[in-house]
Amino acid sequence: MPKFNSILRILVADLLFAWAVLSSAGELHALIKDQNGQPIEDAIVLVTPLDAKNVPFPKQLRNEMDQIDKEYVPHVKVVTVGSKVYFPNKDNIRHHVYSFSPAKVFELPLYSGTSAPPVLFDKNGQVTLGCNIHDWMLGYIYVADTPFFGKSAKDGKAHIADVPAGEYSVRVWHPDMKGTEESTVRKVVPDTTQATSMEWQLILRPVFRIPRASGSGGAAYR
Amino acid sequence: MKIHKLQTRVVLAFTLLLLLIQAASLVIINGVLSDSTNQDIRRNLLAGQRVFNLLREDNNRQLVQSASIMSSDFAFRKAVATADYGTVVSALTNHGARINADVMLLVGIDGKLIADTQVTKNAEHAGYAEQPFQFPELIAIAEQQSQAAAMVVLNGALYQMVVVPVLGPLPIAWLVVGFSIDDKFARNLQSLTALNVSFLTKDRAGSQWQLLATTLPSGASGALPHLLPSLPESKSPETTSTGIATLHMGDEDYMTLTSGLETQSGTHIVAILQQSLQQAQEPLRRLQRLLLMLSGLSLLATLAASYRIAHSITKPISELGSLASRIQQGDYSQPAPVDREDEIGELASAFNHMKDGLATREARITELAYRDQLTGLPNRTLFRDRLEQAAKVTNRAGQNFALLIINLDRFNEVNVILGHHIGDLLLQEISRRLATILARDSDTLARLGGDEFAVLLPDCDTQCAMIVVRKILDTLDQPILLEGQEVISTGSVGIAIYPEHGDEINTLLRHADIAMYEAKHDNSGYALFDLNYVEQNQQHLSLLAELRQAIERSEFVLYYQPKVGFATGTLGHVEALVRWIHPERGMIPPDQFIPYAEHTGYVRTITRWVIETALRQRRQWEEMGLPLTVSVNISARDLMNSDLPKLFAGLMDKYGASPRWLCLEITESAIMGDPKRALGILEELHGMGFSLSVDDFGTGYSSLAYLKKLPVSELKIDQSFVFHMADDQDDATIVRSTIDLGHNMGLVVVAEGIENKATWDMLQAMGCDLAQGYYISKPMAADALLKWIAQAPWKVAKEI
Repeated sequence: MPKFNSILRILVADLLFAWAVLSSAGELHALIKDQNGQPIEDAIVLVTPLDAKNVPFPKQLRNEMDQIDKEYVPHVKVVTVGSKVYFPNKDNIRHHVYSFSPAKVFELPLYSGTSAPPVLFDKNGQVTLGCNIHDWMLGYIYVADTPFFGKSAKDGKAHIADVPAGEYSVRVWHPDMKGTEESTVRKVVPDTTQATSMEWQLILRPVFRIPRASGSGGAAYR
Repeated sequence: MKIHKLQTRVVLAFTLLLLLIQAASLVIINGVLSDSTNQDIRRNLLAGQRVFNLLREDNNRQLVQSASIMSSDFAFRKAVATADYGTVVSALTNHGARINADVMLLVGIDGKLIADTQVTKNAEHAGYAEQPFQFPELIAIAEQQSQAAAMVVLNGALYQMVVVPVLGPLPIAWLVVGFSIDDKFARNLQSLTALNVSFLTKDRAGSQWQLLATTLPSGASGALPHLLPSLPESKSPETTSTGIATLHMGDEDYMTLTSGLETQSGTHIVAILQQSLQQAQEPLRRLQRLLLMLSGLSLLATLAASYRIAHSITKPISELGSLASRIQQGDYSQPAPVDREDEIGELASAFNHMKDGLATREARITELAYRDQLTGLPNRTLFRDRLEQAAKVTNRAGQNFALLIINLDRFNEVNVILGHHIGDLLLQEISRRLATILARDSDTLARLGGDEFAVLLPDCDTQCAMIVVRKILDTLDQPILLEGQEVISTGSVGIAIYPEHGDEINTLLRHADIAMYEAKHDNSGYALFDLNYVEQNQQHLSLLAELRQAIERSEFVLYYQPKVGFATGTLGHVEALVRWIHPERGMIPPDQFIPYAEHTGYVRTITRWVIETALRQRRQWEEMGLPLTVSVNISARDLMNSDLPKLFAGLMDKYGASPRWLCLEITESAIMGDPKRALGILEELHGMGFSLSVDDFGTGYSSLAYLKKLPVSELKIDQSFVFHMADDQDDATIVRSTIDLGHNMGLVVVAEGIENKATWDMLQAMGCDLAQGYYISKPMAADALLKWIAQAPWKVAKEI
């Protein structure tokens, strides 16, 4: 259950962080819909304090972006600036992870297992991951400049807890969204007594997906 | 126009028939092949369309593949992602050269050109940043389907263009690769399909088609854009025949299949596949030419053959025709050639048989008409023709020819005595003998009829004719032995010379006849014609006519010539001699009319008259006491009459006469005409009591043995012997011998023609019994006789 482990680990880290700021914290409930009113998964809600001095910037110790069954798992991952991300290869074939994104250009030439070194993401922004072997493999790492963020689940809801009192700029990002993050920015002062609900409607582009190569023989070797 | 010549008709019929068949077969073959050619072209065009579509798809696939390989190259992607456009352009150029691409473009994700190898090999990105890619719809498709392919017109040239994304891993740019669809491509397609290939385009707004590529010759391709709007289009291979039309371009007709190509740029592009009808039909044309040539040749051959066949039929027919004309003209000499075994040969053979039959019958008819059947000699008709011809030849040559007419003497006697069979044999033998005399081929011997022959001697005068005549007479004198009987046949020949004796054939014939009668009359054997004969002859002719009336007119008178006995010097006999007292000519002697009377048979009437008159006279004399025995001449013709004894009996009764009153004088030759019959009659007469006398004894050829059988009592020596016996010893000897002979046979011998005392004396000395002649008295009328008796020195005998 590697997926479950990783989720658990992230959950533990979140709980620890939440406990630290518990005394005067608020909570944001965000709902992300598309142009048709359907909930959007994998949308990231970024909550940035307007007064940066008030905000501790926890150091991310360890992040992983798995490659399972020739897909990036998770499809979208958020890390804070300065995080190192491991790209463990859970498949029995080799991958060639690369990114040409301005936030981080890198490549991990053909490797297997966990032999690849972690990659440091030191710039805020979107990093699109590809695999030079498998064109259809697509994954996103969003390098966030704030520790307060959330990712929408299937129901399009994202919860950001333990937000210290203060004024925040909230924005939404999604890999397929039309328009910029900036156009989604809203200023908010979370209520510390109860959760603050927010809703965004994004316009999604048609997704360009390279179809998986069928009959590649991958299944036979997994 | 009517065609009469069989040959022409045959040739025309054959030729027309052949032409008809050939025309029909040409039309049929042409139709079938033409249809088949059109079907072939149709199939070719549709097959070409399929090939073209396959080729296009295949090209698309290859292009996409090539482009994809390039776009997925990590280094290339990296260069694109990192905006290393120098590297990008050189990679494009390199890769484009590798796959022979004509267009290599890199289009940014924003739809603007990043790089274009066609414009510059080392273009800066900046140079194209603002220039949008011309075919955004292709990118739209590529976004949907991760690739796009289309025919596009770029800068006036046609390209097969593909668009693939450059992934990073989402599209970071679009790689555009294009292949030029140019004349070379068209030629390549042409080499695969054997079709003319053209590509044309037009803006949707514009109306004018532009030629992008073609394999057509320049003459034809120029016309294509103008013709195109009228053409239907075929979008897919399934919509087949509707897209096919025939275009006339340049000098040729093209079957044309137009395919609209899917385009994304708003322009209209068509691919046109064409096949020249002329080219496609070239084999058909060659076949047509060959067929026409064959037709021509077979037409010529048919003409020649039918001409030959017709000729081979009509030529012998015309030959037979001309042969028939010749036969019509009587020319039987040339037979029809029978050198074939077919119907014509049979016809020719039948023709020949017909010709031979005609010739034979004509010869037979001619023979019947011109030949004497008994002797085979030319007959009178043919002889006349020969005479006519001889006259013409003679006239031209200025010559003479001689005509001889030969009449056998006493042929009737032969016929009567020996029979017609012997007579015929005699005529045949004589004709043979006469034929041997005639030396020259040109001489003609003919039998004119009965016992009359004629000879034509061309180029012959009197002298020459005489030679032949003598030979003829000599030959006739030769005795002929016929069935054991020796026959001597004399003849009389009349001679007439052309043109001296008549320059007209009828005249000449008559004159020769007259000469012949003259010869016969004179007993001279032959006579050359003399004009005097004509007069005499004419007299004779009129006499003959008047002779028949002489008895009715009582112009005949009996004269009596006394016969005196030498020994007694008494008168006991007279010879009754008929005299014709012609009212105009006076007395005509018997020898001038008796021969003719004999000839015509009238002599019987005369004889009867003579006997009657003599009997009447004798009765008078009887009553006057003048017992003279009257000698009456009985002619040869009388002697042939079986009724003669009856006649005498009747007359004797009528006048109450005694047989002793008459003595019947019969000439030797009359008896010899038909001796048997004569003998019978004579014996009958003798039996009746008549005394008989042989007249003119010595002129005939009677044998003594025969004479001995005759019941005669008297012999009269011919006066020709008596006339000259006084001067001629031979005649005297003959007379003496005859007298002796007569006496030896117990006959009374009478000499007539005594004209002088010397003769009288000689005969008296020879012991002749009776004398008759002018020395005693000439014949005289009955009353003159009475006067003569009254004053004559001879007394009338009381008894004979």
